[in-house]
Amino acid sequence: MLETDRIQLHKLVEEALPELDMMIGWTESCDPLQTTPVFIRDAKLISKLTLGPFCSQNLAGYLVKPPALESVPKDAKPIGICVKGCDSRSLVALIQEKFISRDRVRIFGIPCRGTIDWRKVAQRVGLSDVKSATVEDDFLVIDASGTTHRIGLEDVLARKCLGCRYPNPIIQDVLVGQVATPRSSSLETTYRDVDALDNKPIEERLAFWQSELDRCIRCYACRNACPLCVCQDKCIAETREPRWLTQRVGLPEKFLFHFIHAMHLAGRCTGCGECERVCPMDIPVTLIKEKLNKIMEEMLGYSAGLDPDGVPPLLTFNPGETEI
Amino acid sequence: MAVKIFIATDRLDSVLEKLSTKIDLWIPALLKDDKSGPTGFVPYEPGKAVAFDRQTTMSLKKVLLPQVETLLRFEYRKEPEGAINSTLAVEDRREARPTLVFGARPCDVRALTTLDRVFSNGPYVDPYYTERRKNTLFATLVCRQTDAKCFCSSVGGGPADMEGSHLRIVRTDDGYIVEALTKEAQSLLDNLGDAPDASREKQAAEIVEEVSRRRVGDLDTEGSAEAFRKRFEQTDYWVQMVSQCLSCGVCTYVCPTCYCFSITDEAENLKGERLRSWDSCMFYHYTLEASGHNPRPTKLERYRNRVGHKFSYIPERYEGLLGCCGCGRCIRSCPVSIDIRQVVGHLKENTNE
Amino acid sequence: MNNNPYLPELATIQEIITETGNIRTLRITLNDKDRMERFTFRPGQVGQISVFGTGESTFVINSPPTRKDYLQFSVMKAGEVTSRIHQLNAGDQVGLRAPLGNGFGFDEMKGHDILFVGGGIGMAPLRTLLLYMIDNRADYGDITVIYGARSPKDMCYTYEFEEWRAGGVNLILTVDAEFPGWKERVGFVPTVLSEVAPSPNNRIAVVCGPPIMIKFVLFGLTELGFEDQQIITTLEKRMKCGIGICGRCNAGSKYVCLDGPVFSYDQIRAMGGEL
Ligand SMILES: Cc1cc2nc3c(=O)[nH]c(=O)nc-3n(C[C@H](O)[C@H](O)[C@H](O)COP(=O)(O)OP(=O)(O)OC[C@H]3O[C@@H](n4cnc5c(N)ncnc54)[C@H](O)[C@@H]3O)c2cc1C
Ligand code: SF4
Ligand code: SF4
Ligand code: SF4
Ligand code: SF4
Ligand code: FES
Repeated sequence: MLETDRIQLHKLVEEALPELDMMIGWTESCDPLQTTPVFIRDAKLISKLTLGPFCSQNLAGYLVKPPALESVPKDAKPIGICVKGCDSRSLVALIQEKFISRDRVRIFGIPCRGTIDWRKVAQRVGLSDVKSATVEDDFLVIDASGTTHRIGLEDVLARKCLGCRYPNPIIQDVLVGQVATPRSSSLETTYRDVDALDNKPIEERLAFWQSELDRCIRCYACRNACPLCVCQDKCIAETREPRWLTQRVGLPEKFLFHFIHAMHLAGRCTGCGECERVCPMDIPVTLIKEKLNKIMEEMLGYSAGLDPDGVPPLLTFNPGETEI
Repeated sequence: MAVKIFIATDRLDSVLEKLSTKIDLWIPALLKDDKSGPTGFVPYEPGKAVAFDRQTTMSLKKVLLPQVETLLRFEYRKEPEGAINSTLAVEDRREARPTLVFGARPCDVRALTTLDRVFSNGPYVDPYYTERRKNTLFATLVCRQTDAKCFCSSVGGGPADMEGSHLRIVRTDDGYIVEALTKEAQSLLDNLGDAPDASREKQAAEIVEEVSRRRVGDLDTEGSAEAFRKRFEQTDYWVQMVSQCLSCGVCTYVCPTCYCFSITDEAENLKGERLRSWDSCMFYHYTLEASGHNPRPTKLERYRNRVGHKFSYIPERYEGLLGCCGCGRCIRSCPVSIDIRQVVGHLKENTNE
Repeated sequence: MNNNPYLPELATIQEIITETGNIRTLRITLNDKDRMERFTFRPGQVGQISVFGTGESTFVINSPPTRKDYLQFSVMKAGEVTSRIHQLNAGDQVGLRAPLGNGFGFDEMKGHDILFVGGGIGMAPLRTLLLYMIDNRADYGDITVIYGARSPKDMCYTYEFEEWRAGGVNLILTVDAEFPGWKERVGFVPTVLSEVAPSPNNRIAVVCGPPIMIKFVLFGLTELGFEDQQIITTLEKRMKCGIGICGRCNAGSKYVCLDGPVFSYDQIRAMGGEL
């Protein structure tokens, strides 16, 4: 099925490329368990495009981060982009906030059956040499150090995927492949990890975050990978005036940095999980934002990245308001 | 004095505990309660699980170059009543204690040849690094867990390379054979265990012999410095190779030969410290000047600089020495799977395209 | 210097001169009298001035080694450290790491005619070499200085111009636009350069100023027939350690802090790397 979808994608992109400035998609990398983003202008490269459970990267951020789009004149042709369900929500959020206009992008929507978390694969097959990885029905078949492993896909999906309510793109120009069935349809399933943590005594929760964030090396990969962290080079975590953070690597600095990230994403985070996926220290940082997302949904009935015409609650502002 | 000892697998912890009474001991350990989770070098504590089964996520550079350290302390002292000005006292305090890193890998120790040139070989000598370096010994594993991202043999090293190491660790079926390679390391082994018996010794010798013959990686770095200079202005090349880079800096933080640092002052009232901390050439702020001019404004120039630094600038400055030890960490940890071997490997292809 | 190259020596600000709206000149002496007496440097070398609690920044020592009552620095307000320096007063304590960098090849320039082209704060590095040459006037041929600023109010060292002229310097001053009472030239530095048109024969040009000025001056000098190796300039890069270790200030394989800041134009061309 994947192969059919891939062929369909190639065909669609081939047809569209003359009208596009460039196509952003995924291609195979040196790691059989992960793809790498690819930017295509030359039709010869279209055959390299791939899709499927190894396409973990969220490509939406490239639209707003230099120099991918900035180098493109405003009147240029639209940019083609592959999005999974979750990625499409990031795109919607960026459109909502006017970082990109809808007509500048040609969206190739890809219904998603979940993406693979290489760390979970490593837990099962060890970190030995993975020579090849393929998907056969609901199994991941891995050839590692001469042994073939068959692992249930469900066991190695990214955490965010297990609670995913929107595997199908929210917006698209064309759809590639068959519509997928959501894994979750309830807040309980989506926020099961938040609830599990919330049910623990406060001391345990504090200890949990202390031990997790203790590993943070403040490389800021979580921030740079976040499609909605649009301040990027102007991030207040790095400015000296005002100076919120020192270069020290103590827990207070790490907590503050992550609270800055989370607060600036409140009501904007779509739960795409990039921040957690990219963390070299395997810190579940999306969980912090999930907690805020849950509050947003419960208090304000708002979930980010679902309506291109919507306005995130914390960006609404009433000039006549008396209490501010 | 003991030259070679055998440590049975189940005795490792008690031997390390004993060792730690002789010298400050660092070991590779799990940083998370997950056997395949992130690993790094940490000061030894009894019972701490040693992660010998694979290369650590974080390199050992922090033993010599901590992520943050105090360079100076300063204090303004108010003069007695009447005087207008305060006086200033500045001091640098350094302490380098004898240290042993037990369970380093050949690539990590080799990486220090780069750091040594930068920090210790002048014209200015960095006393913080240099004093720690002089006081640190390395017990290095003969490496048998190479993976698809390692390429140490391509850059002058190899999985059994013991250059710069003081002790060699060979993992055998039922334990470890630790051999002192230098005089200063011998006394460390005293009373830690018995000499290995003949059959174990034979097994160890075979392992060393077999691993020494392995060639890990097939990157050809010959001529990459010149090729880089030719490619420098070819924006298309860099667009093609690294457009997906996130400028996240992970590659530089995990890299054992990346050493760029920042210096910042932190003060409260009249007292404070001058800190040195890891920085990354992948960050925008790194080269941003006060005027707003930035010589490396986008990820393309920044990634190009990282490649240039390791494969062209350092070799040019330091008699051909490469600034990469082939550990593969930057490849393993890059969230968008950028492979420095490809970027360097393709430098030489059709340079005139 | 002591054996820790990161450890600044303590120094006291003796005098502060307000040059322009955003440039101040500090005259400082090392607190250690012996060190101050033995302190030597080459024109063009720099110092890292510390205001503890804020940080360190790089400034050229713009007094010449022939005049050692104090070390002079001119500081343009640009960001964090420079703003803090502007709040300091005479008598205040700072830290100094100096001398750093290569400096000008003033010996090789002996016997040559010299052309200085400076713009704005770029006059600071030229001043040290200029005064050194005035103090060793017989060693050098014609000395012509073209110094430009936006307006007369943006010009540094105005109080010294008479002394420079008396020292045998052909001083040509220019401002960008007419200004009441201004009797010297009007026009951008590159334009004035082509008007003055100094001969490239046996002459070395030393250029310093904002990047855009440098760009057009280099162009103008080439037009006049100057070869790349006859043109000397100083490069600016963000710096931290100042001693070739932190890796920040590289252009290609050269560190501006250690191998520079003074480079000839042909060296810059050969160097590659981002400027
Ligand atoms: C060789 C050399 C000589 C210089 N000589 C002079 C001079 O004589 N007079 C003068 O006014 N200025 C000079 N500068 C520029 C001066 O160093 C910067 O303007 C100053 O560092 C800005 O510091 P800041 O803290 O105010 O700016 P911020 O933007 O707040 O910078 C923070 C830190 O970044 C670094 N930094 C930022 N911009 C620069 C820069 N352009 N160059 C070097 N480091 C920078 C410094 O470490 C600084 O402390 C010189 C620069 C160089 C490289
Ligand atoms: S990516 Fe991970 S280690 Fe890096 S700053 Fe974010 S949480 Fe910390
Ligand atoms: S904070 Fe994390 S989960 Fe939320 S949008 Fe950003 S990267 Fe995605
Ligand atoms: S780790 Fe990868 S994405 Fe991040 S800065 Fe390095 S090359 Fe770029
Ligand atoms: S550049 Fe990559 S492979 Fe080379 S030493 Fe650094 S982390 Fe290892
Ligand atoms: S300023 Fe650190 S290397 Fe030049």
